[in-house]
Amino acid sequence: MIWLIGFTLLLSAVSGALVVFSRDPKRQVYAICANGLVLALLFFVLQAPDVAFSEIAVGTVIVPLLFLITLAAVAMHKKPQ
Amino acid sequence: MTQRWRLVLLIPAFLVLATAAAAIILGLPAFGHPLTHYGTAVNTLAPALRNVSNMVAAVNFDIRGIDTLGEESMLVCAVTATVILLRGHRGEDGSERAGLIPGRANAARSDGMVLMCRLFATVVFLFGVYVVLHGTITPGGGFQGGAIAASSFILLYVGGGYQPWRCVLHSPVVVGLEGFGALAFVLCAAVPLAFGYAALQNVLPLGTWKDLYSGGLMVIVNIAVGVAVTGSFGVLLIEFMEETRAPKGHDEKEGA
Repeated sequence: MIWLIGFTLLLSAVSGALVVFSRDPKRQVYAICANGLVLALLFFVLQAPDVAFSEIAVGTVIVPLLFLITLAAVAMHKKPQ
Repeated sequence: MTQRWRLVLLIPAFLVLATAAAAIILGLPAFGHPLTHYGTAVNTLAPALRNVSNMVAAVNFDIRGIDTLGEESMLVCAVTATVILLRGHRGEDGSERAGLIPGRANAARSDGMVLMCRLFATVVFLFGVYVVLHGTITPGGGFQGGAIAASSFILLYVGGGYQPWRCVLHSPVVVGLEGFGALAFVLCAAVPLAFGYAALQNVLPLGTWKDLYSGGLMVIVNIAVGVAVTGSFGVLLIEFMEETRAPKGHDEKEGA
């Protein structure tokens, strides 16, 4: 059990670092997705399945989608060069 | 203020904050021993007092229900503010087609994908409803179930594309869900008050332990939160997605 917690903590640190170190906004959104999934796993391992539910729905689905829409809207309304 | 003065101010501020943070972190219960006095008290008392088996729901919707009412109002206010900000800036005009990012391919979806997305959207929505309804028995509850149900809208978008999605979601129903859920929660707090009880006092029969109806008023509050959260996320999604509509008169400009 303790190894599982350690492993998921390590994974969350790695995926969090990926979010910070990816420079392209779109890749960053996908990294946020992965980070949310890892966090949901961590919450599940720590026996908080209800928090894991919210993390999956909000952190890996809705928030990244809102970011993607924002990026698309920015790209759409950009003046053609 | 010069840079030197900022540095001089930073050092004492950092020292104060660091000592305070260290004191708090050292005072926390050890990792893996999360049971506080409050948690132990709730775990021992709530099953007998409220007939529920999900203690998180008991705390959220009954024992500290008034806090949840505040959170719920914050969610509704935040979503309303987003709608005002986006719609106020954008205006109501704009065509009903999705806009295109210049230079990006726009391939048609295959029938199989549309079918799969519709099937899974139904399953995900039903699972959200399930999580809401079993909020007082198993882990989950109004917020979680509402968020899961709202994420099924996204699958509809992925499968159907912008136009059918807008037909389904751009309706007063979703906005109504948000407002109705919040209103039902406020009524749950206000009606006991009107009859001389405390706000959110559990005046309904408590039901049976581990039954779908257990927890009395908690069941209604839970469903109200679920409905409000589904509506809130739905409104948020449609308002954001409207930002990617093709502007009105886009075609004429393209042709000219």
